[in-house]
Amino acid sequence: MVQQAHHTHLPMLFFMAWRNLWRNPIRSLLTISALAGGLVMIILYAGFLEGMNRQMQRHATENSTGHLQLQRQAFIDDRDLYATLPWPYLNALEHRFPTLHFAPRLYAAGLASSDASATGVMIQAVDPQREARVTRILDHIRQGTLNLAPATPTSAGLTRFNVIVGHQLARNMNLTIGSELILVTQAADGSIGNALFRVAAILKPLEPNFDRSGVLMSIEAFQSLMYLDNGFHELAIRLDNPDQLAQIQTTLRSHLLQIGTIQPLDALGGKPVIRNWRELNPAVADMLELSRSMMLFVGLIVVSLASMGMLNTMLMAVHERTHEFGILLAIGMQRRILLLMVLLESFFLALVSALLGSLLGSLLTGYLEDRGIDLSNYMPDGYDWAGMVFEPVMEVYLLPHHILQACLLMLVITLLTALIPAWRMVRLKPAEVMR
Amino acid sequence: MDFTPQSAIVINRHRPRRLRNWLALLLTLISTSASATDINALIDHIDTLWRGETSRAVMEMQVKTQRYQRTMTMEAWSYGKEHSLVLIRNPVKDRGIATLKVEANIWNYLPKINRVTKIPSSMMSGSWMGSHFTNDDLIRESTFADDYDSHISFEGQRDGLMIYEITSIPRENAPVVWGKVVMRVEQSSLTPMEALYFDEEGLLVRTLTFDQFMTLDERVIPMRLTLQPEDKPNESTVITYNSITFGVPLEPAFFSLQNLQRLR
Repeated sequence: MVQQAHHTHLPMLFFMAWRNLWRNPIRSLLTISALAGGLVMIILYAGFLEGMNRQMQRHATENSTGHLQLQRQAFIDDRDLYATLPWPYLNALEHRFPTLHFAPRLYAAGLASSDASATGVMIQAVDPQREARVTRILDHIRQGTLNLAPATPTSAGLTRFNVIVGHQLARNMNLTIGSELILVTQAADGSIGNALFRVAAILKPLEPNFDRSGVLMSIEAFQSLMYLDNGFHELAIRLDNPDQLAQIQTTLRSHLLQIGTIQPLDALGGKPVIRNWRELNPAVADMLELSRSMMLFVGLIVVSLASMGMLNTMLMAVHERTHEFGILLAIGMQRRILLLMVLLESFFLALVSALLGSLLGSLLTGYLEDRGIDLSNYMPDGYDWAGMVFEPVMEVYLLPHHILQACLLMLVITLLTALIPAWRMVRLKPAEVMR
Repeated sequence: MDFTPQSAIVINRHRPRRLRNWLALLLTLISTSASATDINALIDHIDTLWRGETSRAVMEMQVKTQRYQRTMTMEAWSYGKEHSLVLIRNPVKDRGIATLKVEANIWNYLPKINRVTKIPSSMMSGSWMGSHFTNDDLIRESTFADDYDSHISFEGQRDGLMIYEITSIPRENAPVVWGKVVMRVEQSSLTPMEALYFDEEGLLVRTLTFDQFMTLDERVIPMRLTLQPEDKPNESTVITYNSITFGVPLEPAFFSLQNLQRLR
């Protein structure tokens, strides 16, 4: 009987609910704008968070880490200068995995002196060609030119190499393009490694530690300074398709064991270890996880607040129609159908809000997605968050499923709130309210 | 007075002042039962007494690490408490590298690139010339009396030798790395036997052992110093003195940046 009534009356019910909504258009429109505004906020927020996540992930991989890194255990533990992987390892890996990109690196601690001052630095040696295929560290030049080749000798005929320095280091040591830099360190054979260098370029902010103390040089320059030419400390690896990360990590690991049997490593340096960017930057990986739960949480709060407005509207609407509902019940209208009608009114409110909200939200986010939010007037060097330096242009990135999720979230919450006025209506006693 | 603090200046290139202060302190402890302030006054007095004394030494430093072992020959000069200069003679790769210490400053001269670099305060804990000694060891010697409170913690026979054991505890806010330094000195000759360096948790970090005693100008001088880091039993730095001369004619201008570049 009820089922039958539902079927026959359903179009009518829809029509009535829709018409009821517009009996007080200003009130409905206000409610709709509150809900739609909330939705726009959630969509914008999701866009920001996603943009930031992408920027973060890209920073974590493209700027210096790469997707995977190979090092030896003793180097990971205390940056042991002697924990190198032999150069044939690089050739073997490049031969076996032609689709992957490899960038070998060497590191050492040293003392840098200029005319003005002296400070401890971290020396990093890279192969410019290979490095460019893996990370964008060498693109981040603020001043000067990318040049790690031997520089013109000094007037006294002393040879020197070009280096690239971190921006904070350049500021602290008063270095400009063409400045002379002296590096003193303990070479691998125990002698006092010392050499002259010329500052060829200054990098943009990249990572606070590197900005403060990083000196980039060619592998050739490093070897002549450190007397360490039997291998490299680190291999950064980039995948063309990051989705294959886990699988390639496993393949590389087993292949390394195989190389290890052909060319065994010395015992002191420890085993070769291959780690992905999540393992290398646990803070970033955690942050990405956190931002996902944060989004749900903030979405819940915003929608709940907006649905309070809808609750108010519906309570009022039900209240002022008490008499009308009483008559309907008295002439034999099913309570369930009335309940359905009130819920439908809420649903229509939410639906119109969802459509309007996602339209406005997408337009706004799409607009920001195209141009980003440029903060370079206020922060020309970008901003530093979770140990990473971000570009001064905030990125916004819109994912369709974020809009869908936000709309669903809103519909569910508004329908749940609508149960309150609907429940009040169901409990009406026709004889009392019609009096 | 037989006792010769200035001998210590030369014997121990790295901690001459520390040693001298100890011996000076020791002297005051033996001769008087002075109160703490009197001891400090006496240390200062003795410090100034020997200021202006000079020395020249030729020594050999053998550094042994897990990865390499190398021997360097060096020549060293000192003038009073605040000035010293060390020049590497061998091996060829490091020949001509010189370290100048004036008060709390250290400069290195690097002949290969013909430049002088100053060691910044942030690098003071770094290794000196690749050895297990630090730059700080060179500096701290001149401020030991200011940085530490010392007292005799043991007096008597140990391992068949009559010794004094001096325990030095850093003063509050003193910019030092050690939590405690214990030195054992042989009573009759007042020669140091060993020095133990403890960290702030009271764990032994390194041991400096003195041996190969030689009598020179009626002073007993240990000609060999062995520094043994506690966490690396396979590694050590050994300094052996080939010759020491006191009272060499030296001018303060000898310990200048200009001279540092001329030495070679």
